[in-house]
Amino acid sequence: MYKARVLENGELTSSIYSLVLSAEDSLLANFLPGQFVKIKVSSGYDPLLPRPFTVHAIYDSAFEILYQVVGRGTKAMSRLKPGDEVEFFGPLGKPFPRIEGSYLVSAGGVGVAGFGYLCQGLKPEFSLPAKLLYGARTSAQLVKLDFFSTLLPVEVATDDGSLGLKGTVADLLLAELNKQSYQAILACGPKPMLKALAELGRTYGVKIFLVLETLLACGTGYCLGCAVPSRRGGYFKLCVDGPTFDAEEIDLEFLR
Amino acid sequence: MNFYVKIGDFELRSPLLLASGTWGLGEKEISGLEYISALITKGVSKDPMPGNPPPRLAEAPCGLINSIGLENPGVETFLKEYLPRIKKLGPKVIVNLHGESIEDFCYLAERFENADVSGIELNISCPNVRKGGIHFSESAKDVFELVNEVRKRFSKLLIVKLSPRSNVFDIAFACEEAGADALTVANTYPALAVVSLKPFKVLLGGLSGPAIKPLTLRLVYELSQKVKLPIIASGGVMTGRDVVEYLACGATAVQVGTALLIDPLGIKKIYKEFEELYQELEWGS
Repeated sequence: MYKARVLENGELTSSIYSLVLSAEDSLLANFLPGQFVKIKVSSGYDPLLPRPFTVHAIYDSAFEILYQVVGRGTKAMSRLKPGDEVEFFGPLGKPFPRIEGSYLVSAGGVGVAGFGYLCQGLKPEFSLPAKLLYGARTSAQLVKLDFFSTLLPVEVATDDGSLGLKGTVADLLLAELNKQSYQAILACGPKPMLKALAELGRTYGVKIFLVLETLLACGTGYCLGCAVPSRRGGYFKLCVDGPTFDAEEIDLEFLR
Repeated sequence: MNFYVKIGDFELRSPLLLASGTWGLGEKEISGLEYISALITKGVSKDPMPGNPPPRLAEAPCGLINSIGLENPGVETFLKEYLPRIKKLGPKVIVNLHGESIEDFCYLAERFENADVSGIELNISCPNVRKGGIHFSESAKDVFELVNEVRKRFSKLLIVKLSPRSNVFDIAFACEEAGADALTVANTYPALAVVSLKPFKVLLGGLSGPAIKPLTLRLVYELSQKVKLPIIASGGVMTGRDVVEYLACGATAVQVGTALLIDPLGIKKIYKEFEELYQELEWGS
């Protein structure tokens, strides 16, 4: 693992946090949009496993991740203070596919995290998406909206209608596909959202790439623990074959 | 460092081996292999096995529960496509074998007798389908018969990996009598994680990691006083100190597994810590 210092760690909205870690620029130069890191929060053995996070943004000698406090690992992470040392490893996983032509990114909740680095446009080989479709339960849950709004057009939806369309990301996408055609959609968010988008993609004949999550142990392809069922039988390893998959390649039962 | 031990004709200049199932089958780069005596492959079976559907993992306090389901390409594809690449990694190669009958194991042993590998490690923590699915490791008689038959067909290093859920002493004696060269002590501990309460869903798997180290350490300590076979310890090694403790308790060498899953740069760290302590204790002199 590599050592890193906590530069900032704070709550953006209830239970969603931002963590900024120091890292060597020579290491960060290897990071591509869509890849992830694993971060070990405790210096002891409990919790034992490092947690995986997509890289939200890259700055000079630092990178940022967004996380939701859901269990013991992220709880411990939320207590980190500037100056604390943590260990991390990366980049891991495959980057986003490079899409020629106009494409959308669509995110539900903290799933927006992984698109920040892509939208920063720091890697010229990855073209910028035309638009971000971004949904959450309420407007308060739409974290980093200002950050994204300065980088690209954003359309939002909230379950309670507190901002943007009252509805879901799937509703936003449906409206968008009825207006215009796109080469592909990159999607990250909760499973029901991914499933809805995958089905829309099939109906409209547009390629959908899903950024998936599961419990990971190694993140390096060693343990075969992060199996994602393939539509053609057998399993992918999320950590090295993903985390981004063509929705047509995977068994959508995985999203149930 | 002057660490040097022999198990039969098998020479080790580092006490570290990489445990089965903790480095895949060499598909991905592994850092620190220069500090490793041998790589023990993921379990290889006669026919390809797809592995278990997810979830395959659960975290436990200081431990990891896994139920991968022996996903592997089967012996023929392994020999053709995987072994040549694994050989290029550098360390000696020991193939972990999974069978569901004595015939399966004998078939596999014959396939590897003439293959370019240094040895085999028999996984006996699996059901014997000919005996109604009871695990090989539950019957010293079955283990004797298994090792005896495999020994007739395999002349190189023959290791048996014991299950901690068995009468390890009787099983170890059976292995010794049947002509095994060494024992791996031990496999993961049968464990359960409640994945969800509603609907009630459990994961049955094997527990590894620092949580099991005191348990396996005791097995190694007691077994080493009763059997003559060299013991390769396997259970929760995270540091150089852990390696030294296992050697002090009677192990000849030590497997590293879960530690590599956590830190892909961990082999070098463990070796360097071991080296420092080994010299401090003046064990080599």
